[in-house]
Amino acid sequence: MGYLQAITILSGCNLLAVLGMAVLTGYTGLFSIGHAGFMALGAYMGGILGKEMGWNLVPCLLGAGLFSGIISLGIGYPAFRSRLRGDYFAIATLGFAEALRLLLNNIHSIGKWRLGGAYGYMDLPELKHMTFLPDWAVVVIVCLIALWVTHMFITSQYGMNCIAIRQDEAAAEMMGVDLLRTKLLALFVSAFLAAVGGALLAFYFGYINPSFFGIQRSSDLLASVVFGGIQSLIGPAITAILIVAVPQLLLTFALYRFIVYGLLFVVVMVFRPQGLFGYVQMNSRWITRFFRHKPPEAMEQP
Amino acid sequence: MSPDTPTSAPILELRDLTVDFGGVRAVNSFNMAVAPGELVGLIGPNGAGKTTIFNLITNAYQATAGQILMEGKSLRGLTPDRICHRGISRTFQNIRLFPFMTAYENVELSIHSAPQYSLFEAFVRLPRARRKERESRARAHQLLETVGLDKLAQARAGSLPYGLQRRLEIARAMAASPRILLLDEPAAGMNEDECKDLVQLIRQIHETQGYTIIMIEHHMAVVMDLCRKSRIYVMQLGANLATGGPEQIQNDPQVIKAYLGERKNGH
Repeated sequence: MGYLQAITILSGCNLLAVLGMAVLTGYTGLFSIGHAGFMALGAYMGGILGKEMGWNLVPCLLGAGLFSGIISLGIGYPAFRSRLRGDYFAIATLGFAEALRLLLNNIHSIGKWRLGGAYGYMDLPELKHMTFLPDWAVVVIVCLIALWVTHMFITSQYGMNCIAIRQDEAAAEMMGVDLLRTKLLALFVSAFLAAVGGALLAFYFGYINPSFFGIQRSSDLLASVVFGGIQSLIGPAITAILIVAVPQLLLTFALYRFIVYGLLFVVVMVFRPQGLFGYVQMNSRWITRFFRHKPPEAMEQP
Repeated sequence: MSPDTPTSAPILELRDLTVDFGGVRAVNSFNMAVAPGELVGLIGPNGAGKTTIFNLITNAYQATAGQILMEGKSLRGLTPDRICHRGISRTFQNIRLFPFMTAYENVELSIHSAPQYSLFEAFVRLPRARRKERESRARAHQLLETVGLDKLAQARAGSLPYGLQRRLEIARAMAASPRILLLDEPAAGMNEDECKDLVQLIRQIHETQGYTIIMIEHHMAVVMDLCRKSRIYVMQLGANLATGGPEQIQNDPQVIKAYLGERKNGH
């Protein structure tokens, strides 16, 4: 049972970050290959707030999210002002994540706070001691809240603007969508969620290390969204859980994981370039639509 | 009074508008003045710079020189979204709908491109946010009905037939509650019947909504019909060639020369 709980927690943390990526990449069309950086920010900030300040779990998570969100605006503002898009924005985020990782590797302490550099930040408060609930239940609850909030965001007028930007940026701008503000908002939400995931991870292990948040994790996050489907929450959410759970459950085959990944990606990109659940909204309608032979719009055509 | 001066103070005025792309002067000292409520045509041979004028008004391109005034206030330097909120909305020559949204969503987006409730309200959907959404839903359906797309509200925009996509673009442009509507070749690729329907639609929205409309169009029948009572601007090589009512334009030797070329008599 402990094993299953561990998988629940790890995939839950991953799910939070992937939800953030879904908002940024799946809905707004901005590719980030440095999202682990925002998780790292959340993990370290959560650790500082929990260990050094002695805050409770909820303010810790919110504080970590806000901190990471504000830092993300610092990256996003110059990038979006100069209209960095596509690959260029992705490289900017990669640069941020790698720079942050190297910084954390070399900062041994800030004042009295012993971040530990490459040895890692130790003796953080542990999740199971922070609340009266079991640790896995906390993660599940946070994930459900995050799913709800993200769903509300992307179905709101703000979310519609994000979707418009992904589909035709120039047309969106001329229809009155404020590009800079909308993109910054998407980045903020996504950095916030990633940071909450990172902070939960830190509290689960009671220990974090900069190498947890390398490019491998960033690419896993991006892969979950591309694989799970653009403009969809449910697809990336399922992929986020599978990407953690499946290798754990089939640990004996773990070495072959990347071969299978690679193969799956090629197959999905060739046959379903929009991702497994691309354009599938998280509601009851998609289930019926999924099993219908003809897509509804084909039938409505005159 | 010369024919290119509108009778009342112009709602939109272009003064000596000029833009260079590298070494090419795409628009050269173009002048235009449109009175509130007018329906003005903008015609000219291919490559004359008509769409560029729209792109300059909406600031998709930055003008090199000259002035763009809406009710006497300059629009230059504003971002396209601000210009939209000032009351200028447009359609595109090469249709630019949001292809994976439904027809309804395309229209609805443009109604509230500046969200009407705060981010916090978005997360928890307070009653106010829900009411705002109900209002925009009703308006979106009403606009779709105006252009005759109410039955296809839930169809994916990219899957609609070409002519209906053009109509949807008009509905989307109207959804931004503009005072000036820029229509870029609304009749492109339409047959005669479709053109007639379109003329009727444009006339109807012009009369009922009180928009000021500037329309680029190659279909002469459409332009001449719609601009019967107003004026047509003719462009050539980025500059004003002629301005006047339909008959005047059709008989203008310079316009005929620009469209049909010149006989090489005695050269």
